[in-house]
Amino acid sequence: MAAAVTARAPAHSDPFRMGVIVVLWLLLGLFVLYPLACLLGRAFSDDTGFTLGPIVGALGNPTHLRALRNSLVLATLVGILGTAAGFLFAYTVERTDMSRGAKRLIDLVILLPLISPPFTTSIGFVFSFGPRGLITYHLLGMQNAQVYGWVSTTCAEALTYFPLGFLALRPLIAAIGGDLEEAAFSLGGSRWQVFRTVTLPLTTPGLGNAFLLIFAASLADFATPLILAGNNLPVLPTDAYLQITGMFDLKGGAVLSLLLLVPAGLVFFAQRYLVERRSYVTITGKIGGRAHGAGAAPLARLLLWANCAALTLFILYLYGLLVYASAVVAFGANETLTLDNYRVIFTEGIPAIKDTLIIALIGMPLGGLYGVIVGYLIARSRGIGRHMIEIVSMINYALPGTIVGIAYLIAFNDQPLVLTGTATIIIACYIFRYSPTGIRTTVALLQQIDRSIEEASFSLGASSLRTFRSVTLPLILPAFFAGLGTVFIRAMTAISATIFLVSINWTLITVRILENMTEVALGPAAAFSVFVIVVVLAVTSLLNIALSRMTAPTQRVSVGTAS
Amino acid sequence: MRLGARPAAGLTHSKGSRFTRRAFVASALAAPFAGGTARAAGALNAYSIWPENYARPMMEAFEKASGIAVKFVRFSSGEALARVTAEKNNPQIDVLFGGPVETFTAGQSKGVFEPYKSPSWADLPARFKDKDGQWTAIADDPLVFMTNTAFLKQHNLQPPASWGDLLNPAYKDMLQMADARTSGTAVTRIFSILQAHDRNEDAAFAYMKKLRKNIQSYTKSGGGGTLPVGLGQAGGGIFFIVDALFTRQKGYDVQISFPKEGIGSAAECIALIKGAKNLDAGKKLIDWATSPDMQSLLAPNKINFLPAHPKVAADPSLADVLKGAKIIEIDEAWAGANRQRIIERWIAEVLNAG
Repeated sequence: MAAAVTARAPAHSDPFRMGVIVVLWLLLGLFVLYPLACLLGRAFSDDTGFTLGPIVGALGNPTHLRALRNSLVLATLVGILGTAAGFLFAYTVERTDMSRGAKRLIDLVILLPLISPPFTTSIGFVFSFGPRGLITYHLLGMQNAQVYGWVSTTCAEALTYFPLGFLALRPLIAAIGGDLEEAAFSLGGSRWQVFRTVTLPLTTPGLGNAFLLIFAASLADFATPLILAGNNLPVLPTDAYLQITGMFDLKGGAVLSLLLLVPAGLVFFAQRYLVERRSYVTITGKIGGRAHGAGAAPLARLLLWANCAALTLFILYLYGLLVYASAVVAFGANETLTLDNYRVIFTEGIPAIKDTLIIALIGMPLGGLYGVIVGYLIARSRGIGRHMIEIVSMINYALPGTIVGIAYLIAFNDQPLVLTGTATIIIACYIFRYSPTGIRTTVALLQQIDRSIEEASFSLGASSLRTFRSVTLPLILPAFFAGLGTVFIRAMTAISATIFLVSINWTLITVRILENMTEVALGPAAAFSVFVIVVVLAVTSLLNIALSRMTAPTQRVSVGTAS
Repeated sequence: MRLGARPAAGLTHSKGSRFTRRAFVASALAAPFAGGTARAAGALNAYSIWPENYARPMMEAFEKASGIAVKFVRFSSGEALARVTAEKNNPQIDVLFGGPVETFTAGQSKGVFEPYKSPSWADLPARFKDKDGQWTAIADDPLVFMTNTAFLKQHNLQPPASWGDLLNPAYKDMLQMADARTSGTAVTRIFSILQAHDRNEDAAFAYMKKLRKNIQSYTKSGGGGTLPVGLGQAGGGIFFIVDALFTRQKGYDVQISFPKEGIGSAAECIALIKGAKNLDAGKKLIDWATSPDMQSLLAPNKINFLPAHPKVAADPSLADVLKGAKIIEIDEAWAGANRQRIIERWIAEVLNAG
């Protein structure tokens, strides 16, 4: 409610808005800029003071440059593949006469990669495509198939992150008024023409968002390359992580992460340029029906369905493997069914489970609120402050998690603010690192809503608070719930940043999973993963139910964003 | 539209229950923000580099014996040391427990340990203790070659019995070994190879470059490659005996062998953290872990470390595996002094050669 402010009143005339902005900047300063400054301080100083030595050294090092190039190519490939898959699913779900059951199944399956710990896809790939892989060896009879390298890393990351694209694109496609497409049809456009000239251009900002989200996620991911990249695909996040955790070289890791910031920043600005060049207002306040499967021709529909089905089945297969591995003594050696792995996680694993749930449940509402407030300020204010907020709020997301974790560790281990060992540091890390999904969704939704709707409310005499509550809030509620969901999911599944923030007092399930995996205790690792998936599914289902109940009345005023 | 009315629907409880709920929410919110400063007398915090399933029975036995409550979290050696180093000004733990000696010599150079000589210190051979008491060994852990039995059969191979055997083209892209950037296993392996080449660095690196062609993946942790080898996803690798035997105990069909030229071993150590908040309790844990009290518990718990204390005998089955194995001593002083340089050379010439 904090952002209950008018859309057009100048900021300085609105003390409430100013208050919100001041508090926001305090938080951004404390949890984004200050840790980053501490990290840069380490990277750019030695006993004598400021030095450029490390960064110059890194740029002159062919190994690091190769890792940079690999990271860029990998993130681009993953971004393209992931955006395409996300669009494929979003378009199929929204624009073909898919049965409710099939939609439900897709909603569920698409969630799986998002809500599972980051290693699950990679582990599934290793079991399926290695020299003794279930698919390569046992099914296809291939000898000496190699799973490590470009192809599997790209595919595993695309599979892990394409749901981000789906989540960003689906509301947009749903929001494109069916009347626009129908108008195009009645003007004689073919289905393909309509798709190409109406539907696709209208989703361009969404495609940009989706690409940005996936590109950034891939750029920062260390877990997948750690397992699947093998020897010939060094990437920056993994190298930075290994540099810090293995070589105890904080400086070297910081420098590597600085190399990563450049492409992350470039993509971010390119995307903004793309979005701002054109206006994409489709919700005009006029009554317009939703599209009812008018989008795709029968043959195209069949193709869409087939592709979705194939991908869906493959994901289900990977997760079937996971469940199986959680229920046998030793996958691949002793496949006697057992509940032992679950007994282990519900005895030894209880502290981690309890801590993770407490942290997730506190971080979720805070992160959702933060995402909507920041998104609202970005989309509905003007001037330099808006760009600054947008950029600063994205920093922790663009940085590799490892670096955020180390930066927090450096910043909050000493006076003036000692937070290491507390849950606060982990919760803050989640909020400022994972809320950008909520921010982007809010911005994307608000960009589609013409300001004239809000202005109409004012001219009818409504107060700014009333306007926000009865017009703007219902419109961005889906973004709030998206933010809630993302922060909860990430709190349950993320590892790269938090591995440095867990402590004697507060530990996390994902860290236990990583430990179990390195201890060759695959069974408990799989059981933990299954547990995480079940909990997250339960919580996100509750969120969806709440969202659909809360937005039902608003649909009558033709806001087609909530589904 | 009707959103404003919705919260009201939730306010139909009696006053009493509302307050209870508020109190609950308040306490749930407050709890996580409290720092980890509560320290009951006789409590102790530790990072364990030993896996949870090894460390837990040990810590539980110590709790029983001493009445001191132990809180511990497990991290791989590199991560544990990175944390201890980052927390130098505000130590979160009292004791760093387990992990290969090279991690402890690296920590020593960062000045994170508080010297302490336990009663057992004097009984230990030189390679099991720092001369100033910065760290002390609690076990010994030799490296082994571990290969997948089905893979050997398929390629008509015997278990490798020399370093040269690993260069066989049959192993092309089929060996998994640890990455020297994170793993103590890898560092011990590299120093073993150097030692087996009489510390002729160029010859040792020429060997490692040839071996590189057979490496399928360098894993983050020392034990990380054992599962792929167990599953036949990889043909073999070089691991600590504790990881190799654990793989076999899990039911995977693997062979353990040793190179005739000899292979290295790493002492597993313990150290007190400088600035520890529970110094006395920490010392008690070190006294106990370096003594026969703890090390005689290794065998009954099926933990395949060799006891460091001379008064504790190795489990017969473990001794049996090691029969005929040539264990060469790594000069820790030389290794410690050259560690950084050697690892950097390995990264430049071996890891990035592909």
